[in-house]
Amino acid sequence: MDRTESQDEFYRKVAEEYGASLARMAYAYEADPDLRRDLSQEIHLALWRSFEKFNGRCSLRTWVYRVAHNVATSHVVRQTRGKRSGPAFLTLEEAGVQASGENVEISADRHQALAHLFALIQRLDPLDRQVILAYLEDLDAESIAEITGLSVANVWTKIHRIKDVLVRQFHRGGRDGL
Amino acid sequence: MACDELPDDLKILWKEAGTDRPMFSPEQLRQEAEKMRAKRRKSDVIMVAAMALLVAGYGIIFFFIPNNALTLAGSILSVLVCGAWLIDILMKRARVAPDPGETDSVRFYRAELERARNNHRALVWRLALLAPPFILWDIGFARIFAKAAWFIEPFMWFDCVFLLAVFAVVGPLNQLKWTRKYQDRIAALDGAIRSEGR
Repeated sequence: MDRTESQDEFYRKVAEEYGASLARMAYAYEADPDLRRDLSQEIHLALWRSFEKFNGRCSLRTWVYRVAHNVATSHVVRQTRGKRSGPAFLTLEEAGVQASGENVEISADRHQALAHLFALIQRLDPLDRQVILAYLEDLDAESIAEITGLSVANVWTKIHRIKDVLVRQFHRGGRDGL
Repeated sequence: MACDELPDDLKILWKEAGTDRPMFSPEQLRQEAEKMRAKRRKSDVIMVAAMALLVAGYGIIFFFIPNNALTLAGSILSVLVCGAWLIDILMKRARVAPDPGETDSVRFYRAELERARNNHRALVWRLALLAPPFILWDIGFARIFAKAAWFIEPFMWFDCVFLLAVFAVVGPLNQLKWTRKYQDRIAALDGAIRSEGR
């Protein structure tokens, strides 16, 4: 198999396996539908290009999430440039404090709950956003540390705070919950 | 207990999103990459053409309009400043950006913030340097043609004030404000990482 062929094969495999996760990621980084479509394409293009260099020193999953998060972060920084209000992201602590007023029930209106969850994530600083997204995608602390470059202890601290924010923002509603 | 279970409920809810995932084939992406390369080449050509137009414009002024020392100095300095702009932009483009696959997110985010800060910082001097040559040229032009029409001199003085305000004061101050904002974010990121014992 030549290089281009293996690059295409890698990409196809990743698009199949991580496509939904990458779509969620684009949604979490960009609220505007047109810009989101551009961001999705940018992420896929960066991934396809990156497989030219992928050497297997880290797992494929780590590589995919790292490329996708980095491209999305670039997008966020670019989008905040030149905006009058400037970049105004919330820290996890601030998000937790702001959330105390509104607490959404997960089971009552799943669509609303999901919209609320995306709105919360879209206001976070890119680094916190990466951790919360990886956490929601079921990545363990070691993998998140490998992607972000944070220490495992630091990731655990952030996950603890994320749980705190989520509990303040949402409640299960009813006995059955989900 | 319910609090511990809640994040798991949210994870299930989270996975319900992303079903409308966009699909791209490698062929589409290859075409897109080629389109981007072509776009970049085109913008390079436009930049160089703009510079050539500027030089041609000043060349015409040089040969067909009466000159004095001020207009000459203004013309030469304008071309030099725009040339420096062009070289600076092309050199910046040639600089290798961090690889998104090889660079961890924290370092990548910091590099992006630095890049945004440096872009704004570069605009401070680029704008500030443009004002003096244009002003020199305006003053020289006003001196040569002051007697040709009554409005030329006041118009040139108005132009000087306008150029000073835009290129030497408002523009650079706005860019400095953005430079500071990005610097503050870099400091906040460094502080957050240090305080959590990265």
